[in-house]
Amino acid sequence: MLWVDKYRPKSLDKVLVHQDIAENLKKLVMEQDCPHLLFYGPSGSGKKTLIMALLRQMFGASADKVKVENKNWKIDAGTRTIDVELTTLSSTHHVELNPSDAGFQDRYVVQEIIKEMAKNRPIDTKGRKGFKVLVLNEVDKLSREAQHSLRRTMEKYSASCRLILCCNSSSKVTEAVRSRCLNMRINSPTEEEIVKVLEFIGKKEGLQLPPGFASRIAQQSNRSLRRAILSFETCRVQQYPFTSNQAIPPMDWEEYVSEIALSMLKEQSPKRLFEVRGKLYELLVNCIPPDIILKRLLYELLKKLDSELKHEISHWAAYYEHRLRLGQKAIFHLEAFVAKFMSIYKGFLIETFG
Amino acid sequence: MSDIRKWFMKQHDKGTGNGNASKPAKPSGAEKPAVISQPEKSVQESQESSGRRKTSKYFSKDKHVKDELEVEEVSAKRKAQRGRGELDSDVKPPPGKKVHKVEDEDDDEDFVTPSRRESVDATRSKKLKSGVGKGVAQNLIDESDEDDAGKTKSNLKPAGRGPGGKNASATLTTTTDMDVDGSDKEDVDDKDAKSSKSGGRGRGGRGTSAGGRGRGGGRGGFMNFGERKDPPHKGEKEVPEGASDCLAGLTFVISGTLDSLEREEAEDLIKRYGGRVTGSVSKKTNYLLCDEDIGGRKSAKAKELGFVFMFFHDLPYFMLAIFPCFPNIHIFVNIFNWIASYSTKFLTEDGLFDMIRASNKSKTSIQESKKPLDKVAPSPPKKSPQVPETKKQVGKHVATSVAVKGLSPAASLPKRKDQPTAQSGLPWTEKHRPKVPTDIVGNQSVVKQLHDWLSDWNKKFLNTDQKGKGKKQNDSGAKKAVLLSGNPGIGKTTSAKLVSQMLGFRTIEVNASDSRGKADAKIEKGIGGSTSNSIKELVSNEALSLNMERSQRPKTVLIMDEVDGMSAGDRGGVADLIASIKISKIPIICICNDRYSQKLKSLVNYCLLLNFRKPTKQQMGKRLSQIAKQEGLQVNEIALEELAERVNGDMRMALNQLQYMSLSMSVIKFDDIKQRLQSSSKDEDISPFTAVDKLFNFNAGKLRMDERINLSMSDPDLVPLIIQENYINYRPSSTGKDDNGMKRMSLLARAAESIGDGDIINVQIRRYRQWQLSQIGSLASSIVPAALLHGQREILEQGENNYNRFGGWLGKNSTLGKNYRLLEDLHVHLLASHESNLGRMTLRLDYLTLMLKQLTNPLRVLPKDEAVEKVVEFMDFYSISMEDFDTIVEISKFKGHPNPLDGIQPAVKAALTRAYNKGSSSRVIRTADLIKLPGIKKAPKKRVAAMLEPVTDPSAEENGEEFAVNEEENLSDTEELEDSADAEKQLQTDLESLSSKGIQVQVDLKGSGSSSAKRAPAGRGKGSSQATEKKGGRGSGSASRKRK
Repeated sequence: MLWVDKYRPKSLDKVLVHQDIAENLKKLVMEQDCPHLLFYGPSGSGKKTLIMALLRQMFGASADKVKVENKNWKIDAGTRTIDVELTTLSSTHHVELNPSDAGFQDRYVVQEIIKEMAKNRPIDTKGRKGFKVLVLNEVDKLSREAQHSLRRTMEKYSASCRLILCCNSSSKVTEAVRSRCLNMRINSPTEEEIVKVLEFIGKKEGLQLPPGFASRIAQQSNRSLRRAILSFETCRVQQYPFTSNQAIPPMDWEEYVSEIALSMLKEQSPKRLFEVRGKLYELLVNCIPPDIILKRLLYELLKKLDSELKHEISHWAAYYEHRLRLGQKAIFHLEAFVAKFMSIYKGFLIETFG
Repeated sequence: MSDIRKWFMKQHDKGTGNGNASKPAKPSGAEKPAVISQPEKSVQESQESSGRRKTSKYFSKDKHVKDELEVEEVSAKRKAQRGRGELDSDVKPPPGKKVHKVEDEDDDEDFVTPSRRESVDATRSKKLKSGVGKGVAQNLIDESDEDDAGKTKSNLKPAGRGPGGKNASATLTTTTDMDVDGSDKEDVDDKDAKSSKSGGRGRGGRGTSAGGRGRGGGRGGFMNFGERKDPPHKGEKEVPEGASDCLAGLTFVISGTLDSLEREEAEDLIKRYGGRVTGSVSKKTNYLLCDEDIGGRKSAKAKELGFVFMFFHDLPYFMLAIFPCFPNIHIFVNIFNWIASYSTKFLTEDGLFDMIRASNKSKTSIQESKKPLDKVAPSPPKKSPQVPETKKQVGKHVATSVAVKGLSPAASLPKRKDQPTAQSGLPWTEKHRPKVPTDIVGNQSVVKQLHDWLSDWNKKFLNTDQKGKGKKQNDSGAKKAVLLSGNPGIGKTTSAKLVSQMLGFRTIEVNASDSRGKADAKIEKGIGGSTSNSIKELVSNEALSLNMERSQRPKTVLIMDEVDGMSAGDRGGVADLIASIKISKIPIICICNDRYSQKLKSLVNYCLLLNFRKPTKQQMGKRLSQIAKQEGLQVNEIALEELAERVNGDMRMALNQLQYMSLSMSVIKFDDIKQRLQSSSKDEDISPFTAVDKLFNFNAGKLRMDERINLSMSDPDLVPLIIQENYINYRPSSTGKDDNGMKRMSLLARAAESIGDGDIINVQIRRYRQWQLSQIGSLASSIVPAALLHGQREILEQGENNYNRFGGWLGKNSTLGKNYRLLEDLHVHLLASHESNLGRMTLRLDYLTLMLKQLTNPLRVLPKDEAVEKVVEFMDFYSISMEDFDTIVEISKFKGHPNPLDGIQPAVKAALTRAYNKGSSSRVIRTADLIKLPGIKKAPKKRVAAMLEPVTDPSAEENGEEFAVNEEENLSDTEELEDSADAEKQLQTDLESLSSKGIQVQVDLKGSGSSSAKRAPAGRGKGSSQATEKKGGRGSGSASRKRK
C-alpha cells in the first residue's frame, strides 16, 4: 500500500495539517445543518482528505462503504435523447462524481443527478428525512452552462441534498455558485508542515532520515503534500538507506517536458519545431493535460531564460493557455506557443550575438 | 480602307481611345512618315520599357487587356457585319485587312534588319551613353562570368541589354552577336528559305541570352524534380508580351532551374504563344530551355542528337555585317535558320523572352511604321536617315516569311466569314458525333472488342440453344451481356450505337428516363405497361427474334444506358436486368459510369466488362481541330490540347465549350481557353491533398481568394488538418533571402497562431452552431497559413517522402481517447479498491510514476519468486488487473526514453502473469466490471460494482451484519419490513453458503433492494435507486457463483 493512502487521516481529529479547519468543520457538522461547501485550493493541499473525513464525521463508517458505478443517463433534450455515462462513487449517504468528464454535456448530468437524489431522500434513524451529500469534483472545469444550471438546482433542492464542491481555483467558479456556498480555502501546507508529516511517516515506517533530507523533498514538492509523500516513497523504493544528497527523482512526464524545453533552447528551426511537436503529442497521448504541459514547459523555460525575455515569454504562455481553453485541439495551441517562443528567442539570440 | 486600317492600329498601340480621336491628325502620305515615325517610336518605346522593367510582370496585364480588347472588337465587328447579312459588306473589309497585314509583316522584318545593319556605328556610342546606369553595371557582371561560349568581345553586347529600348537593343545585340558567332561557329551545312521567321526570332533571343546566362550565376548540377531549386531571380524579370502565335510549331523541352521563372510558369508562357512543351528531348524538339549548364540526361540527349548552340542563328548576321551591301545575304540567313530549326538548340530563359519580345516588337513596329503611312505625322523628324533605306529593302526579302505566317489571326478572319452560318441549330456534340466506329476518339481496342463480341453473339448463344446448352454456357469467356464503363462524355453510348449499327442491329435504348423497375410478375398485364415488361417481352420472345433472324429482318440489340442510375424508382431493377440477361435472346449492352458502384456488384458477374479510358489529349486535340476546321474556327492545336486537358477527357464537354466560345470569337487562343475553363475545371472533385498541394504551391500567391476558399472548403475538416500537419515543411517563397531562417521562423509562428484561431472558430461553429463562421474558419485555419508559407516543400526527417502527410491529429486523438479510457478503467479499479479516493488526473500526474516503480522495480532487482509475490500483492491491494498493469506501462512510455519494462526478464514477466492468474480463483472481485446475470442473455446496461472481499477479511461479516441492521432501521416505518427482513435473511444465508466455498460476499444491500430482488413489486417510494441496488445485489451473487 502506498504511503499516501496508508497515512491518510481518516477522521477530522487525526489531521496533521489544517487542524484549525478540521476543528471548524467538525463544529459545523455537529450542528446538523450543513451548508453547501466549496473547497478550493491547490492540488495536494488536502481538500479531498478533508472532505472524506467530513463525510465520515457526518455519516459514520457507512460513508466508507462506497460502490463504484458507471451510471447511465438518458436525457431528453428537445428532439433527441442524449446518452451520458459517468462513473460515480456512492454510498447510502453520498454520491461523488466528476461531472466535467461528461464534456460539454455536463449540465445534464448536474441537473439529473440532483433531481434524482432529491427524489429519494434517505431517512435517518429518528425518522426524519435526512439529506444526501453530493460531492462534485473539479467544479472549475464545469462548463458555464453547467454552472448556471447548478445555481438553480442548488436552491431548489437544498432541503434534500447538500453539495460539496471541490476545485483548484475558485476564480473559475461563477460568482453565483460561490455565493451560495461556504467557501473553504485550503492552503498548501507550508514546508515545515510537510517536513513534519514526512518525519511522522518516517517514524512510523521505522526509517532513518538523514538531516535535511525531508526538507529537500518538501522543497521539491512545490508544497504539495501528496507529491512530497509520493516522492518520499519513490526515494525509498529507489535507494535505502537514504543518503543526504540523494537525488529526488522527478515525475516521468516532468522529465520529458524539461527535455523539450532544453531542445527548444538549443535550436530554433522548423526541424526542431517538428520534433517538438512529436514530443508534445507523446505527452498528450500519455494523458497529460495540455494546460499542465504548457505550465510546466514555461516553468522549465524560465529557468534558463534571460531575464529580459522572461516577461514576454510568460505573457505569450498565458495568451496561448487562454486560447487553449477556447479551442479544442490542444496541440495546435501548444505548437503555436513553441513556434512563438522559437521566433522570439531566435530573434533575441541574433540580436545579442549577431 | 485606310480608315479601317488606322482605326485598327490606333487601338493597338494606345489601347485607349478608339480611332476617331486620332483622325484629325491624319493627312495621308506615302514614304516619308515612316521616317518620322521611327524615332518617335523608339523614344516612346524606350520609355515604356524602362517603366515596364520597374513594374515587372504586372505591367504585362495591361497589354493583355489590350489584346483582349482587340479580339473583342474584332469579333464584335464580325458579328455586326454578319448581322447586316450583306455579303458585299462582308467581303470587302477583310481583304483590305489582309493586305494590310501582309504589308505590316513586311515592314516589320525589314525594319529590323536594315536598321541593324546601318545603325550600328551611328547609334552605338550614343546608346551606350544614354543607356541607363543599370546597363553598365550589368555589363560588368556579365563579363565576370562569361564562360559558356567563349565570346569575349563584349564591350557592346551588355550595352545591348542595358539600355532596354527595344529598338536599340535589337540593333546592338545583333552586332555583338555577329562578332561572337562569327568567331565561334562555322560549321553549318544546308539551308532552306522556309524559316526566316525563326531566324528573326533567334536573332533577338541570342542577344540577351548571354547576359541572362551571366546573371544566372552559379551552376548547379541537374536536379531532380523534388529538389529543384528555386529560380535564383524569381520574379525579378519582366515577362514579355509577344505576338500571339510567335512560337507556333516549335517544340520546347525545359530542363533544370530557369533564371527567373518556375518551370510551370515557363510552360505556361510557351503554351500561351503557341509552342509545345514536351517532357523529353526527341528529334522534333526545337529548343532545350535551360539556364544552367546542365549535365542531365536531357542535355546529353540534346547534344547527342547533334545540336548546335543557339547562336548559330547569328552566324548569318555576322556575315551580313561583313558584307552589308550584299543583298542576297538573306538567303543565307534563311538557310542557316533552317538548319537551326532542324536541330535542337539550347535556349536560355532570356532567349525565350527575347524571342517573344521580338515578335511583339515586330508587330508593334508594323503598326508604328504603318501609321505614318496613313497620316502625315506632324511631329518633327529627329534623325535616323537610315530608315528610308530600310523601307525600300523590306519588300524584297521578307515577303516569304509572311506567307509562312499564314495563321495570323487577321489573315484568317475572312475565311471564317466565308462560311457564315453553315451551322444548323444542332449542337456540335450531335453534329459531330462519330459516324463510323473509327471516328471514335481513343479506345479503339475496346470498340474492337465490343464489335467482336456483338458479331459473335448470335453464333455463340443462339446456336447453342439448338445444339445443347451445357457446353457453351460454361464457357467463361462468353457473357451474354456487356458492361461498358467509363467517365461521362468519352463515347460509350456512341460506340455502342455505332457498333450495333454497323453490324446491322436495330438498337433499342432504355435509359434513366424510363422507369426500369421490376417487371410485373404477371406478364399478361401487358407489354404496354411498364418498360421492364416490354423488355422482358423483347428479351424472351424467342420466336420473334428467331423469326427475325431467319427472315433477315434487322436483329435487335438492347442498350441499357446508365444502369448505375437505377435508383429508388427502379426497385429491383438490377435484379430484373440480371434475370433478363439470363433468359435473353438478344444481346444486351449495359452502360454505366462507375463499374465499382455498389449497386452493380451483382451485375458485373454476368457481363463482359469493357472499360473506356480517357483519350489522350493529343487524340482529342486532333479530333477537336478537325471539328474546329469544319466549323471554320481558328484554333491552334496547343490550345485545343489544353482544352482537352482541362475538360478531363470529356469530349462532349470539350465540344460544348468550343461551341460556346465560337459564339463570341472566331480565333481562340491559349489564354482564352485557360480563362474560360478556369471556372469549369474546379467542378471536379478535388481531394484534400490536391487542395493542400494547390494552396501551398509556389505560385499559390496568384490564386484568387474565392479559389482559395473553394480549395479549403473542399473538405473543411481534413484540409486544415493536413495543412497543420505540413505547414512546417514549407520553405516560404515570400521570404526571399533568409540567411538565418529568422523570417521563416516568425512566419511559422504567425501561421501557427492562425491555425489556432481556426481551431477556436471551429469550436464556435460546432458547439454553438455558428455555421456562418465557416468561411472565416477556413480562412484562419487554411488560407492564412498557406498564404504565409507557400513555397517549396522540404523534408525535415530522414527518409521521409516529400509529399504532404496525412494530418496526424486524427490518429493521435484516437490514441489519446483510447488511453483515456484505459486510464479511466484503472482509475475505477483503484476507486473500487477503497484504498484511495483520487481524481483521474492526480492518478496520472502524481501516482503513476511511483506505481510503475512499485510494479516493475521488484521484478528487476529481487529474486523471481519474491518479486512476483510482492508485485501481485501490490496489485491485489489496489485491485489492479493485468490489463491495468499493461496500461500503466503503456502510458508511461515516452519516445526516446527507455521502455519501463526494459531489464525485466521475460521469464519473470511470465511468472508474474501466471501468479496473478493463479491467484484469480480466490481473488476478490472488487472492480466495477461488466457482470452477466444468469438467465439474462444480454449484459445489463449498467455496469455494476460487485464488491467482494476475500474470506480472510474479518470485517466483511461485521459489515454485512451492520448493514442488515441499518437496513432494518431504515425500513422500520415501511410496511414491508417483515417481508423484506425475511427475504434479507434468506439472501444472507444464500450468501453464507457461498462464502463457505471460499468467497465471502459482501453486498452493499439495502433491505428493500434485496427484497425486491425476490419479490417483484417491492419498494414503493424508491423506484429507481432500488432498481440499481437490486441489480447490484444480484449481480454480485451471480458473479461470486461464476467465479467458483
